[in-house]
Amino acid sequence: MFVCIYCQSVSEKRVRSDDGGETLIDLAFTFSPLVEQTSADTVVLDIEGCDLMFGTNPVFGEALGSEADAIRQRAAAFGFKVNVAIAANPDATIHAARNISGVTMIPIGAELTCLGKLTVAALDYSLAGIATDRAEELRETLALWGVRTFGELARLPLKGIAQRLGPEGVRLQKLAQGKSERQLVLVQLPPGFEQAIELEHPVEELEPLSFILSRLLNQLCANLNAQALATNELRLRMKLENRTQHERAITLPVPMRNPRTFLRLFLLDIESHPPPVAIVAVTITAEPVKPRGLQTGLFIPLAPEPEKLELTLARLAKLVGTDKVGSPELLDTNRPDAFQMKRFDLLRGRKKSTRNRQMALGNRPCVIGFRKFRPPWRAKVHIMQGRPSQINVREADHCAMRGTIVCASGPWRTSGDWWRKDAWARDEWDVAVVSLIGEQAEVLCRIYRDLTNEEWFVEGVYD
Amino acid sequence: MRAAISKKEIESALSKRFGVSSQARGKFSFETLTTGIAEIDELSNGLPRSAITEIIGATSSGRTSVLLSVLAQATWSDEVCALIDIGDRFDPASAAHAGIALDRLLWVRCANNLERAFKATDLVLQSGGFGLVILDMADVAAQHARRIVSSWWYRFRRTIEHTPTALAVISQTSCVRSCASLSLELKHYSLAWSSARKDFETASTSRVDRPKRFEETRLTLVGDLGQQPESCGSALTHTLLLRSSDLQINQRKPIACSPMAKFRTHTITA
Repeated sequence: MFVCIYCQSVSEKRVRSDDGGETLIDLAFTFSPLVEQTSADTVVLDIEGCDLMFGTNPVFGEALGSEADAIRQRAAAFGFKVNVAIAANPDATIHAARNISGVTMIPIGAELTCLGKLTVAALDYSLAGIATDRAEELRETLALWGVRTFGELARLPLKGIAQRLGPEGVRLQKLAQGKSERQLVLVQLPPGFEQAIELEHPVEELEPLSFILSRLLNQLCANLNAQALATNELRLRMKLENRTQHERAITLPVPMRNPRTFLRLFLLDIESHPPPVAIVAVTITAEPVKPRGLQTGLFIPLAPEPEKLELTLARLAKLVGTDKVGSPELLDTNRPDAFQMKRFDLLRGRKKSTRNRQMALGNRPCVIGFRKFRPPWRAKVHIMQGRPSQINVREADHCAMRGTIVCASGPWRTSGDWWRKDAWARDEWDVAVVSLIGEQAEVLCRIYRDLTNEEWFVEGVYD
Repeated sequence: MRAAISKKEIESALSKRFGVSSQARGKFSFETLTTGIAEIDELSNGLPRSAITEIIGATSSGRTSVLLSVLAQATWSDEVCALIDIGDRFDPASAAHAGIALDRLLWVRCANNLERAFKATDLVLQSGGFGLVILDMADVAAQHARRIVSSWWYRFRRTIEHTPTALAVISQTSCVRSCASLSLELKHYSLAWSSARKDFETASTSRVDRPKRFEETRLTLVGDLGQQPESCGSALTHTLLLRSSDLQINQRKPIACSPMAKFRTHTITA
């Protein structure tokens, strides 16, 4: 059985509303999940299986009638004035709803009786799959023949219709008779990737929350899997007991859909950023994207799996701090020790791997390494004839920096950012220090005198 | 003696019953990771994968130089590397000049916390997929390094045993001991300075003029205070004065042979 809802009022007609208001589709979905949007003002519902709501087929009793009235009342609540028609044939319901006001119930086999008096001008040729130009020809032909109503068209001999009007004429006659057969073209709602749950009792501990998150993530990933999609962004909104929201977001470098990975990432994040009070509702939203395509090969270099790497990075961030994990990136400045930590991203690393390795490394020999002290060590340096001769580092544990400078090269002046408040200027020396304590051999280090405050520092050692 | 004989008898009895699988497995031959230093590669074929390498030496013995060279070779072979830096001593500028592809290096800075460093190393090794993992304990005092329980090293060795990951541990004194498949001890042998040394030697007898710039060192300076800074391509300037240092390696493992090799590290030339 089918129900057609036709919106009468043109001014209030809303099929797709962008202002968030209720639409005809929304009205239809409140009664059945199987809805066809035939035109801007017409929707058809398949009520097969909705026996509890619409009554048992094919009895047209009070149940169907009262439900049709309920549809009109709800439509009125939505702001629509509608005609409702119920029949065993969807096209019959469409014609009835469009041309007969109020509620029309067409018993099985009585389609021609109800629709026979409608004019042929009311025939919707698109329902029979007839193109516009052909439909025009057929209208003219029917007008020439003096066919005015559905009933007159229906009673014409089938053989003559087929000979004179062809298969389109046959389909048109079946439409008029209310015997056309077609499947509804159902409306596919855009898949929503959001899972929410309201908790019976507020949750404060991480362990019970992990069960809740696991359940929501399993369902979310199943929905993604069903649509052959993945996600690279997840948002977790927790409604708290004090009526505030606590939101966390996870951004992934590559699209994934592994619920266990997502759960671990969320738990690590919540451990680092716990909500202040108990949680009463949880919502997780995923941003759907196409999954990544990965082609393995014999010569692809070894690399961590993205899911494992993401978990490892999250655990490392929790262990040592978010700003202490990543790849170093040099800044475009001459300021000493100017770099920033950026997120470790394998994909970015791979893009640059096409560089010529020989050009990058060249034939350079092994370069002296430098170990930088952060922060630099304060030192007392004795100057003899303009050159450092003795050094004494104030950090008591570092005995190797207390001794005689046997060789010094410098000073080499560097300065910069003189136009800023944090300008730097210093005289640097490379020195070889022989410790006065212990058996330490020469230690090569770089010291500098800060010209802004005339203090000496040890910047690092060559190793 | 009696215990050794009994062990043999037991092994032979077991092998009759269970075959050769009951016998202790022999040593594996390892794939290796080139260090980029020909002398070390000739000595040891590079750093062994699936095993721990220990690089020991005092301050200024060349450990970081070897570290940078290995990292440069590994990152430009498209291997993903990790550096667990206990003392936060890694210098990105000198690393870039050494040829390391920094975007393929995961740097974990542990703020002198030994426990965190070991947990971080464990996490990285468990994650898998890294070609080279370096645990930089160069600034950990010897007495603290010796107190590290052996179970950590056994755990690390077990984790990487059947993976292509190489773990290198840099320290002042030997702490990995029997868990390491290769142990390199570095000593500082000699230094080669530019004429700065000569200037210094004459300082005691005569007034020393301010050191001159040496054209061959290609020094580039940012201007003095008050002047507009000159643009320079290389941020490291003064290291050019320390032209080279000779380092000596005593290979301590395998124990059967302990050859020595000398190699030279150089300063950067623009």
